[in-house]
Amino acid sequence: MTLTDSITRQTVETFIAKATAVNAVVQELPAIPAALQYVVDVCESKTPAEILADEPGTEQGPPGPNNQPTRVKRIVAAPDLNDEEFATLSAACEEKGFLCIREGLRKYVAGFDVGVSKALLGVAASGTCMMNTDREDSRLAGMISEIHIILLRKSAIYPDLPSMAQLLRERMNEAPATYTTLISGPSRTADIERVAAVGVHGPLELHIILLED
Amino acid sequence: MQEAPTTLSEYRKQIDSALQDEFLRRTLDTFAVAYRANRETIFKEVDERALINQIAEARDKACKRMEELYAQFREQAEKRGVRVHRARDAAEANGIIARIARDNNVRRIVKSKSMTAEEIHLNDHLIADNLIVDETDLGEWIIQLRHEGPSHMVMPAIHLSRYQVADDFTKATGVKQDTDIQKLVKVARVQLRRKFIQADMGISGCNFAVAENGAISTVTNEGNARMVTTLPRVHVAVAGLDKLTPTLDEALTALLVLPRNATAQRLTTYVSWIRGAGPCAANPDDKKILHVVFLDNGRTEIAKDPLFSQIFRCVRCGACANVCPVYRLVGGHKMGYVYIGAIGLILTYFFHGKDKAKVLCQNCVGCEACKSVCAGGIDLPLLIREIRSRLTDEQGSDAQAALLASVMKNRTLFHSLLKFAKYAQKPFTGGTQFQRHLPAMFLGRHGFKALPAIAGKSFRDRWPELERKMPEAKFKVAFFSGCAQDFVYPEQLEDAVKVLAAKGVEVDFPFEQTCCGLPLEMMGQRKTSVDVAAQNVRAFSHKRYDAVITLCASCASHLKHNYQALLSGNSALLAQTKEFTEKITDFSSFVYDKLGLRAEDFNNSGQKVTYHASCHLCRGLGVKEAPRELIRAAGVYEPCEEEDVCCGFGGTYSMKFPEISARLLENKLNNIRKTGAARLVVDCPGCVMQLRGGAEKQGINIRVDHVADLLAENLKR
Repeated sequence: MTLTDSITRQTVETFIAKATAVNAVVQELPAIPAALQYVVDVCESKTPAEILADEPGTEQGPPGPNNQPTRVKRIVAAPDLNDEEFATLSAACEEKGFLCIREGLRKYVAGFDVGVSKALLGVAASGTCMMNTDREDSRLAGMISEIHIILLRKSAIYPDLPSMAQLLRERMNEAPATYTTLISGPSRTADIERVAAVGVHGPLELHIILLED
Repeated sequence: MQEAPTTLSEYRKQIDSALQDEFLRRTLDTFAVAYRANRETIFKEVDERALINQIAEARDKACKRMEELYAQFREQAEKRGVRVHRARDAAEANGIIARIARDNNVRRIVKSKSMTAEEIHLNDHLIADNLIVDETDLGEWIIQLRHEGPSHMVMPAIHLSRYQVADDFTKATGVKQDTDIQKLVKVARVQLRRKFIQADMGISGCNFAVAENGAISTVTNEGNARMVTTLPRVHVAVAGLDKLTPTLDEALTALLVLPRNATAQRLTTYVSWIRGAGPCAANPDDKKILHVVFLDNGRTEIAKDPLFSQIFRCVRCGACANVCPVYRLVGGHKMGYVYIGAIGLILTYFFHGKDKAKVLCQNCVGCEACKSVCAGGIDLPLLIREIRSRLTDEQGSDAQAALLASVMKNRTLFHSLLKFAKYAQKPFTGGTQFQRHLPAMFLGRHGFKALPAIAGKSFRDRWPELERKMPEAKFKVAFFSGCAQDFVYPEQLEDAVKVLAAKGVEVDFPFEQTCCGLPLEMMGQRKTSVDVAAQNVRAFSHKRYDAVITLCASCASHLKHNYQALLSGNSALLAQTKEFTEKITDFSSFVYDKLGLRAEDFNNSGQKVTYHASCHLCRGLGVKEAPRELIRAAGVYEPCEEEDVCCGFGGTYSMKFPEISARLLENKLNNIRKTGAARLVVDCPGCVMQLRGGAEKQGINIRVDHVADLLAENLKR
């Protein structure tokens, strides 16, 4: 292992430790196909998403853990994937009977099962992912899903906030950039008696898949 | 919304009821202890002091450029389709936001947390305008259901139990709710989702308004700000003008400290950067309607103030409340109006007026715990004292403070009165060190501790017999005695003289010295405080000393840190003042650092000795190691839990808020009792007064002394 390799490995290890510390589930996978398979597996093994608001015409299953009706047809939303990746995921979802979408997520804002996003970069010191969320659909994928899965290339992990400041600046200066998000772990609160709880508004779980280049 | 108290007696009644809230007490006790430990751990990964200094410097610079940054932000943001507004005051801001709602046919509004919106009581205004407003931060939603204000800037509902929340949620949903916290959190998830979807307009706060690119940033753990800024067709961000920051770099630096200081997190879960009006499928043209409303409300004036402009270093982390021993006892509803904690006392004065602030700003014990953790290094206790002094200028003194000031102006009169007191008290002391028999009418609520008697012979009267000239002296030093040791505990100074003389140090005691002036500052008597400062500097300027030693940490800290500022208008004394303050040294540091006293200088008594770290020593002067090492040298050091938490004395504070002072003392004594030590030593006569009196009253068998007493007793001769 070269010195650069070992520094990179160190950064990745730090990222995993800090992300795990804020309740993210981190997986190291070799490439996109394995990641897409992981998405399908996660969706299959979870309890179906609860429908938290009226959604006329949607088939409803038995009440979920919060006593709300659940989806019969599960939904995977993956607005950030390119055509080829989306086609692969879509086919795998269809096989399982899931609905796979990449736009019009507002229609399912009552809640869906899995959202898939791609991170621009990672920050090791806090286990953070920087996301291009200009498109509403990109934002909703990480806000409305019960499980949010982020794909992050290991080579895009930086040590800390100061070391990525310039990249954030450049990202925000790109022509249509309007909304950039830093995400560290799933939605959380400690507002009642300071007891930690995840999933207050956004995802109940955050999974980060670290990909080799 | 709670009301601010307008009289001290009304305020003390409120405090009494807060002190009886057992749940609040338990919650805040657990929180205070856990917070300190978690904070320490999470800051190990970064250079805390360097970051705080960076934030302070950057904020100070930004606040001088407020107008320029506003213009730059506005230009950048407007280029990207944002409407930028500027409101002079609360009424104007509320009017602008209500008009935006009307112009866009808004009926329902969802809000994410914004202290600025709380500052202007925005919800009340919008609701009066027939709009439906729902808070979406869990804590804010809970207090909205209860029609209360936040009791903490970061954890607005920290004063409530799960049972109260379950009751509120039961009422709000019409369904009996479980008291399990995880389930209660999900009730919010379910209930608020519909509100996000139905809302026409979202109102958010703004943690940073970045001038270089016109971006606003929101920081939340729950992700509600992302929903608020995404789902509704209109977004209004409310920002104080102090949120303007030149570039992203300053914002990212602040983000290294804000979450660590607020909740001991490395980074808040969601940090969003919104730059311009982005797509929004809820509008026919697929474009968000985005407004940013900047609030002045006195900010441009404060920005020009050389002292108070530092309040804009505040990142609203709430740490000043988290470590405040008074907050821990009374909770946020009694420790602020809208803004809570030490910064809350100050902001109330500026944003909500002196009528709301005049009583609240008395409730600072001056322990400096807040200053030691502030993300922007704001000198909060100093600013609170400064406000008291301004209030005195504007509204006049209360009788007690005015009397004190008029006596202190004249050293001879002041000292004669102190000497006279020893005769006046005679019938009450029964010949002991305590005023045992003070008639109850004088004791009032001060009965929680035995009050010390004025010594039979003051230190200045003993001095002629103690003074030794030492031509071969290693060091020549002078004592700054402070009133308490001169007149109440002269034996502490005598013991210090013994130690110093044995080690070849010549001590002088300039007679013209008087009270350091800190009690005057605490009572807002600035003018007399400046007079006594000048008198003290002159008293020590006749001879050259290697050090000016004080056994009182409060005097030392005041002399060292405040005299130069207090006397900055006295050009004739500038050089002497500088020299004087530089020479001020506390006794423990002098004998440990300068004289190098170590174990071999003592016959170790083997006695178990515990320590109370006086606020003005451990935080005021940053002295931590010296006294503990000296204890180890002369006896067996028994560490005490929460050793550096205030004993509740706070000088005149204990007279003004005896109920709080008594509770702080009780907590302290409980911890001390647990050590099983036979002796407690401290570096401040004020703490001796409080702790010795408390131990006596409670019948705890422990000797309470100054460090100097312990050292003199065990010194090898």
